[in-house]
Amino acid sequence: MDRSQISVGRATLGSAVRSRRKSRSQRQSMRSVFGVASRLGLTPALTTQRLNTSRKPYKSQTITEKINPEHLALLVKRQWKLSYVTPLYQFRHTQMTTYARRLSAFIAAEKQKGLAVEVGELQDTFKVCFSVLQGMSEAKDDPEAILIQVKSRPMFAKQDEPQKTVWSGWLACVDGNPEYLNSLPTDFTCLPLFGSNGAEGLSSLVKSWFQINFDCCFGPLDIGETSLEWLAALWTNCNGKSNIQSLKMHWTIPAVHALHVEYTVSADDAWALWCSIRGRSLEESNGTEEEGCIDIEEVKSFMQGLMGHFYRHFRLDLSTGNLNQISTALGSATLNDRIKVSTSIYLISTLRLLTELALLRLPI
Amino acid sequence: MVYVFSVDCSIRNMNDSAKRSLQRLLRRIPFRMLKTSLDKWERLTAEQRRAIDLTPTKRDLIQEILSLCEENKWTEKHIAELQMIYVAENSDQDMWHTYQLVDPDDDARSVDLIQFKEQFKSHFREVQRNVFVKIRKHTDEAVWIRIAWGEGLSPPNNLRASYVVHHLQTPYVYVSSLSSKHKPLLLQALAFSTRHRGIKDANLSGRKLTALRDLLMRQYQHVFTTKFPSPLKEQNQSPLIEKEQSGPSAKRHRMAIEAFGEGALPAIQTAVYKLETKFKDPTNETMTERDEPFRCAVKFSSTNLLESLRSCASSGIASTPLTPLLSSIPLKGRNYFVITDNAPSACSQMSQTKN
Repeated sequence: MDRSQISVGRATLGSAVRSRRKSRSQRQSMRSVFGVASRLGLTPALTTQRLNTSRKPYKSQTITEKINPEHLALLVKRQWKLSYVTPLYQFRHTQMTTYARRLSAFIAAEKQKGLAVEVGELQDTFKVCFSVLQGMSEAKDDPEAILIQVKSRPMFAKQDEPQKTVWSGWLACVDGNPEYLNSLPTDFTCLPLFGSNGAEGLSSLVKSWFQINFDCCFGPLDIGETSLEWLAALWTNCNGKSNIQSLKMHWTIPAVHALHVEYTVSADDAWALWCSIRGRSLEESNGTEEEGCIDIEEVKSFMQGLMGHFYRHFRLDLSTGNLNQISTALGSATLNDRIKVSTSIYLISTLRLLTELALLRLPI
Repeated sequence: MVYVFSVDCSIRNMNDSAKRSLQRLLRRIPFRMLKTSLDKWERLTAEQRRAIDLTPTKRDLIQEILSLCEENKWTEKHIAELQMIYVAENSDQDMWHTYQLVDPDDDARSVDLIQFKEQFKSHFREVQRNVFVKIRKHTDEAVWIRIAWGEGLSPPNNLRASYVVHHLQTPYVYVSSLSSKHKPLLLQALAFSTRHRGIKDANLSGRKLTALRDLLMRQYQHVFTTKFPSPLKEQNQSPLIEKEQSGPSAKRHRMAIEAFGEGALPAIQTAVYKLETKFKDPTNETMTERDEPFRCAVKFSSTNLLESLRSCASSGIASTPLTPLLSSIPLKGRNYFVITDNAPSACSQMSQTKN
C-alpha cells in the first residue's frame, strides 16, 4: 500500500520534473544568449554606447504625441518601485480585456481567502484595467508597454461614488538589446522592467498572477551606485535645456550612529563642473568621439570632482559610505529600487537606462 | 435688558471658543500622552482624574473633559496651561531655534522671575494689545513662555502659539513656532525684560531642546584641552601595547577625543553648512580658474551627530586632525554655518582659511 503510494508520488514528481526541465532548457538557451550580452554590457565600451546622450531628440512634444496624456500623467511625478521580470510566455497584447477580467477574479479570490463567510460583492470591489501604453517604446523590436490599474471603491463609500485607482503598475521595454530580444523564441514577450505604485499586498498578488499565467519570475531591481551616478550626470546634462534646480546627493556613512550626508549643489555650478569635464574630454579625444556621447569616465570624474570639493572642506571621505539617492527637479532615484521621473521629457531616456539595468539583472 | 443680553451672549461666546480650542487641542494630543498631561494639569479633582483614568477610549475622554469644561467654566487661560504642559513634556515635536542675548546691562544679573514676568508682559501690553502671554516656571528651573498672537482685531490664535524657553541668568533663549512677522517684537521683548541691549541668532537649532541646552551650557564631559594627557604608562606594559598606543589608530582616537571629548555627547541631530567657496582641483583647470564660487549646501544628520563624527574621526573615515568646520559644532555651540572664502564680505560668518 505504502509502496504503491510512493511510486505514484514518484511518477507525478518525475513528470513534473521533466516538464520543468523542458522549460528550464528553453530558458537556458535564451539566457545563454543573454549571458553573452550581459557580459558585454558590463564592459565600459557597450555601456558607453547604450547610455549616450545623442538620444536627446526626446522632446516633450514627441512624447505627448506618442503616449496618451492621461497615461502619461499617471507615469510622471509618482514614485515607482522597480522589479525585473523574466520574459512572459504566451502573453498576447490582444487579450487585455480577458487578462483584466481574470486578474480581478484572482485578486477577489485571494482576498476572499481566510474569510469564514462569503462576503457578497467582493468581486466587484476590485476592478482591474489592462491597457497598452502605446508609444512607450523606442526601438522597433521593443514590445509595447502595458499599464495595469486596480481600481476600488472605499469600504464605506456610497454606491454612486466613482472607483479610485488604488494600485498601478506597468511593464516596459525601452530600447532593449535587439540581439537578445530577437534571440527569444516566438512565444516569449520580453518586458523586463516592472514598476508598481500602491499597496505591497496588491503588488505581490499581481506578481503571483503573472507568475502563474506567464511562467515568469520577478525580482527586485537594485539601481546600484554606478547607475545613480549615471543618472546624476545624465540629469545634470539636461540643465542646458531644462533647469534641474539643484543636484542633491545623499550618502550614508557607517559610524556608531549612521551618519547621513545630504550634499546639494546649485544647478548652475553642477552644470559648470559638468561642462568643464565634457569640454576637456572632447578636446582630448580630438573630435573622434561622436558628439553628445557621454563616457563613463566623464561620469566618474564628475562624481570625483563633487566628492573632492566636499573632502577639501570636511576632510571626510564620502567613498567610504553608500550613495543612496540622487534627485533633481527632473526626477529622483534611490539606491534600491525606487524611481520618480518628474517631467515627461526625460521619461523615455530614463526608462532606457532602467531597461538596460533590468536586462542585466535577469538571473542567468 | 439689552445690556444684560449682550453680556450673557459674550460669556457664552467666550465659553464656546474656549471649548472649541480645548476640543482641537485634545484631538491633537495622542491618547497615551493625554492622560499624563491631564494628570499634571491642576484643574481636575482627584475624583475627576480617577474617572478619566478609567475612560477606555479617546473619544469618550474628550467628551468627558468637554463637559467638565462647561461645568467648571474653564477659559482660554486654563486651556493654555494644558497646552503648555503638553508642549513641555513633548518638546521634541517642535523645531527649536536658539538666540543669544548680548550686551548685558549692569543689573542683568539680578533679574528674577517676578521682575522678568512683569517686564515681559508690560512690554507686550505697550506694543501690541491682542497678544495672550502665559509664563510658567518648569520643574528644571526653566522659564516657559507661551505667546498666542492676534492679528489686527482678531482674537489671539491659541492653536499656533509660539513658545520660548529661557533659564534666567543665562545668555541663551530657545524659541519654537515663531513666524518671521512676530520675531522682531518677541526678540525685543526678551532683550528688554532680561536687561540686555541686544539679541542675535545663535545659529543653533534642533528638535532636542535638552541637547541644545547641554551643548551650550557645556553640560557634558568634555576635554577641550590643547594638551591632552598621554595615557599613564604602566610598569609592566608589553611593547606590543605600547606600539599600539603610539600607532596611527591611537593617534586618531586621541584626536577624536580632543575635538569632541569623551563620554556621552548631547544628541545634536543636524548640522548645515552653506558653502560658497572656490572650486579648486589641480586636475580641473577650467573650474579652478573660474571666478564665481561653487555654491552648495551640506547637511549632516544622525541620531547623535557629535558621536557619529567622533566615531568617523577615530575610525579614519574623517581625516585627523579634524577640520575646524566640524570641530566648531561643539566649540562654538552652533550647527548652522555659512562658509565663504577669506574675502571680506558681510554675509561671511565663518571664513575658510585652508588651502
